[in-house]
Amino acid sequence: MARVRNRIAGIISLFGELLITAGVVLGLFVVYSLWWTNVLADRAADQDGAQVRDNWADGPGALDTKDGIGFLHVPAMGDDDILIKRGTTSAILNHGVAGYYTDPIKSALPQDAKGNFTLAAHRDGHGAKFHNIHKLKTGDAIVFESKDTWYVYKVYKTLPETTKYNVDVLQPVPKESGKTKPGRYITLTTCTPMYTSDYRYIVWGELERTEKVDRDRTPPAELR
Amino acid sequence: MYGWIWRHLPGNAWVRALLSIVLVLAVVYVLFQYVFPWAEPLLPFNDVTVDGQ
Repeated sequence: MARVRNRIAGIISLFGELLITAGVVLGLFVVYSLWWTNVLADRAADQDGAQVRDNWADGPGALDTKDGIGFLHVPAMGDDDILIKRGTTSAILNHGVAGYYTDPIKSALPQDAKGNFTLAAHRDGHGAKFHNIHKLKTGDAIVFESKDTWYVYKVYKTLPETTKYNVDVLQPVPKESGKTKPGRYITLTTCTPMYTSDYRYIVWGELERTEKVDRDRTPPAELR
Repeated sequence: MYGWIWRHLPGNAWVRALLSIVLVLAVVYVLFQYVFPWAEPLLPFNDVTVDGQ
């Protein structure tokens, strides 16, 4: 009788230990996704960003898109310089950068005469470059810095929730934002609500002006 | 389970405690380096693009 009772107690305590272990592993996964991936991604992005800055060190000049096409500055989201690379696969975005779309709808580039410069970046983890996208309001500046030009965009419309199937937000003329004529637009996409990716958050801006980069890379008024 | 591991570790209590810490760190390393990076894309927390897929 005592042996049977011991056996049952042993099974119950094994089950309990497995449950505790599962809880600890899930807790570690949260630490991994919200902290460790940021550490790795910020390290990678700092290195890649420094590489681009280094490529540009000879002063403003012809377009140079090696190792990244430039930096995005969004004062309303924070004072981070977000490096921008080509492509939106997780292999690229996990390095703490924003990527411009090549698929399903190819992004225009800021220097193009017309089109939509469409970007994606992580909301949480992996650098979380678009974490504060909800702080962007109509009229806020989004500044893209290339080797020789500052492109100053102004937000004119936000879409706080849409589905991942809504690829039309990336169209050269994003009709859902109320535009009907070709222009020079920028579109930021990320996931929402925070810590999940049930929906997508979209912010649209339109180019207001460009400024030539001077020798000291003096930022435009929006960034001062 | 953990009691069984403890009983099978060699040495006195201090050595066993040290070995336990090493084992825990090894498990955390394997999780962070291999298991979580594998599991993460399979979970619906980090898809940021509109792609219709």
